[in-house]
Amino acid sequence: LIAPAELRAESFVRYPPQARSFAVANLPVLQRMPLILIALILRQAIQYDWCFPAERGQLSRQLDLMGRMDVALFDALMAPFSAIQLSSELRALDWVNQPQHFSEQLTAYLWSQHQIDRYHEAAEGYQQSLQKTLAEKPVVTPRWTLVTVGQGAPKTELPMFRRLLPHATLFTNVDPAGGLEVLLAEIGSRARQYSLEYGHWYIEGGEPHADSNGVPGLTVMSYASLVPATKREFTLLNQFANRTDGGGKVGVEAVSSYVAGLNPDDLGLKGTSADEVLRHFEVNVLTQGAGCQIYSTTFVQWASRECLHRAQPLTLFARFATRQKSAPMEQLLARDPLQQPQDPEGSLTDADMGAYYTWINQSRLAGAEQSRFLVWFEGHSVVCAVSPTLPRGTTSMASANMQQVLEWMR
Amino acid sequence: VPRNQKTVVVTFGGGARDEETFAPEGQENIPHLMKELIPQSTFFTQVVNRGILGHYVATASLATGVYERFDNFADVAPENPTVFEYFRRGLGRPVNDAWVIAPSNGFNRMGQSGGGAFAPGFGARVVLPKHLLAAALGKTSNNPSGLEFLLQDNYEDILFTPPSVQNEIQLSKLAEMLHLSAVDFTHHAQTLSSADELSAYVMRQLMRQFAPSLLWITLHDMDVAHTGAYSLYLEGIRRTDRLCAEIWQMIESDPEYKGRTTMLILPDFGRDSDFSPSGNGFQHHRTGDPLSRTTWMMAMGPHIRQNTTVDRALDSVDLVPTLGAMMNFPTPSAKGRPIVEVL
Repeated sequence: LIAPAELRAESFVRYPPQARSFAVANLPVLQRMPLILIALILRQAIQYDWCFPAERGQLSRQLDLMGRMDVALFDALMAPFSAIQLSSELRALDWVNQPQHFSEQLTAYLWSQHQIDRYHEAAEGYQQSLQKTLAEKPVVTPRWTLVTVGQGAPKTELPMFRRLLPHATLFTNVDPAGGLEVLLAEIGSRARQYSLEYGHWYIEGGEPHADSNGVPGLTVMSYASLVPATKREFTLLNQFANRTDGGGKVGVEAVSSYVAGLNPDDLGLKGTSADEVLRHFEVNVLTQGAGCQIYSTTFVQWASRECLHRAQPLTLFARFATRQKSAPMEQLLARDPLQQPQDPEGSLTDADMGAYYTWINQSRLAGAEQSRFLVWFEGHSVVCAVSPTLPRGTTSMASANMQQVLEWMR
Repeated sequence: VPRNQKTVVVTFGGGARDEETFAPEGQENIPHLMKELIPQSTFFTQVVNRGILGHYVATASLATGVYERFDNFADVAPENPTVFEYFRRGLGRPVNDAWVIAPSNGFNRMGQSGGGAFAPGFGARVVLPKHLLAAALGKTSNNPSGLEFLLQDNYEDILFTPPSVQNEIQLSKLAEMLHLSAVDFTHHAQTLSSADELSAYVMRQLMRQFAPSLLWITLHDMDVAHTGAYSLYLEGIRRTDRLCAEIWQMIESDPEYKGRTTMLILPDFGRDSDFSPSGNGFQHHRTGDPLSRTTWMMAMGPHIRQNTTVDRALDSVDLVPTLGAMMNFPTPSAKGRPIVEVL
């Protein structure tokens, strides 16, 4: 049981190497933080070795800023967190070495004490204050997010892209021929032109398209390649969840903590030291996202959200595929999702919503007003595009091809 | 208040957002509520849940009129007295006059409080239709029956196993009470498409056998939203919409209920906003943002004003004192206030 003010360099001896250095370098500011906030910061800091460059930069800027603040300003920023009373049980937890576990217990406590709204207000105020003070890091070029939905789906009567329409131009007469190749060429070109580690992504709901092979600077992640890891995850979880603990089954919190502790080796994700950050990201996606293990549409939506939130890429290509048909959870957890009957119509609805969420998540990033967003009903003539160069809330029936639409968006 | 007045409470143990229900863009998902039930009801546009947004603890809070604070996944009874105990003790009603039909993920303890304010024995009977079906399937020789989809359970944590059912009345006894043979029950189940339909079917049996005066049913299909599949969430809402209309038809076509029953329909809470950065939209209800806390309620019955909308904000815990005031029993520990518009 220690208080933040009692933190020493030795407190972080169990941290991975880069995380330890980062924590020690920022010790003076960490020592001044209230427990709630420091545990949140440490939850991210303990993962520092596997953070994306954008996350590392953000964390460093945040702590630098707080380190430079005068006492009055710092105390004012911390006050809403300090005002939340914590139980002695929470204070006694090992929040230095297990910040994730502390965070889970804290959330349960805040809900039970009806303090969760105060906590959210404090966190929101903190974020807004930092955003105001920290100069937004300029983006070297506007972000582009390209999304395709309805892979393999027949023509539909469903109204598409309804939520995006007020912000976009809807093109209803786009020649679908070669559209996918044009989009892949675009992301490849951007990856070559704007070299940035983890700056260009392709997230695929099925098997990755052959044109993405070997594109330099492009990070590729696919549902098909991660399905074996999801099976492994379920096996491990079942083993853990069914383990008896003092006569009873282990609780939900214990299962959550166990999941949070899984690493790439546990899930059989092999790679090189060069892509260790990506392997850890894949584990995070699979262990933190509900439903992305069983439904490919949920996978693409959640992975895109996390990618935008964490890696803050310049380019994202998210390609939704069909998901398996619904079934009882026991079957969904046990069977191979790639070998089941698919639900094309349901998948289209899921992906339509997923595309909208992807646009919202892109809109939260720096340079949002200059960002470009395109979603295409793959294989069909409907494209919805958001760009400062295009009018909003309009429909264009002009005959076009995909390349032309991209040009109009530049 | 007539002596033989009855009340049916329908809650959705899977939050639904306004966007997918009563907001203009959501109304296509609820044609029955919009066209059949709203014209007959007083509709409250804002019911705010200020408690823990987990389905069991929130539903238990609805039933006690106090924001319960227990772990949503724990096998515990509500701390505060339930409306069923108030009802039975206050009006001296027998055990079969108050029933709860609930999804099986932990709701088995919600019929009776555990805080000691009431001696055991005044609670509601709780029936978990999925347990009933599972038991029936075990007795029939046709397994696998293809009915596993009706046993679909908790969506909130996919590896969470519901706690063992300790207080449930013996399944065989219940089946006997409902005059259900395992074969008939299984056969009927084969005509259904979801777990909530099974609950509605069991409700019909209960109404026929016991005609309880206080009947509480919690529907749960729409909580499939936790898997992130928007289409399945919408499907759950549409099914719930249809089932609400069917439940009202059941009431109106049963002589024991027709013309003397008040029905209250309300989700336990909403789901996260699309724009809450810490959430993931419709998928969960974790942020505590206004959209996840705010929902609606529909009241209908012989003493309820029809085609009326009330925009003032209610609190979720207002339900119990309202039921007490409607049915004339005291609810001393409940924290809310009676909703005057339905009295």
